Amino acid sequence: MRSLYRSLLHLYPAGYRAEYGDEMTSVFLEAHAETADCRVMTQAIFGVRELGGLLRGALREHLRNITGPYGSALFSTRRLSMHSEFRFPKATVSLMVIILVGILLTIDKAKSISASISYSRPNVGPIHAAQQLMLLPALLIILAGACVVAVIAWGVMFALQRSGLHRLSDVNPAGEQRPSGKLSI
Amino acid sequence: MESPISEPVLLILLSLADQPRHGYAILKDTEKMSDGRVRLSTGTLYGALRRLLEEGWIARFKEEDNSRAKQAYRLTALGRKNLQEELSRMKHLTRVASLRVARKET
Repeated sequence: MRSLYRSLLHLYPAGYRAEYGDEMTSVFLEAHAETADCRVMTQAIFGVRELGGLLRGALREHLRNITGPYGSALFSTRRLSMHSEFRFPKATVSLMVIILVGILLTIDKAKSISASISYSRPNVGPIHAAQQLMLLPALLIILAGACVVAVIAWGVMFALQRSGLHRLSDVNPAGEQRPSGKLSI
Repeated sequence: MESPISEPVLLILLSLADQPRHGYAILKDTEKMSDGRVRLSTGTLYGALRRLLEEGWIARFKEEDNSRAKQAYRLTALGRKNLQEELSRMKHLTRVASLRVARKET
């Protein structure tokens, strides 16, 4: 169980793993030891909760590394207060976790396929000029698509940053506006 | 007024309010305080601890046996101040809510 947990910790960025990996493993083992005498269902729930927590945490840390200071508001200790039109549905987190798992499985599968193919096999070899001509437009389309996705993602992040904490932080639960001199939309 | 704190973070801060605790002790305490409703995974706990450390709400507690695997955390003055503000906000909200519900019943 220890080795499985340690290998799952590799989903996290290396810096985070170096700082918290030992602690997390120690706490996990203590929590796991407590469920050892419990029913199978309780153990399964514990396993799913831990796996979900690790995947969400790893995703959050990677996003945090990518977004840098722009993402600081997203990962603040306080809840992210946003206008409703910019609020992510809860399903987005699950979807992102599924995508992350899919990517990791694909990489793993690709590695195993790559290892199973012999270099001497005649069907697999250098790409010929004709194939290169077909490959180039496809690569360009993929690159353009990636750029569009990146621009949209940056736009969403920017919108979240602009519409989030700094505006609604001026509003209190009683509905009174604090005199801040800023126009709240 | 600042935006509210999420429930897991609030429970972690409350857990550290009376004494420094290790990760596992925080997990057990949050579960106890919420009557078993909130059960944090280690991933969620350490994600929250990291953010709280970065924002200066908590700090590492120095002990004699200060190994990496047994690190305790304590609430800082800033963390205590923010926790008190959050509790005041919740008290105010509870008072307003109670008044409204009572008014509707009469």
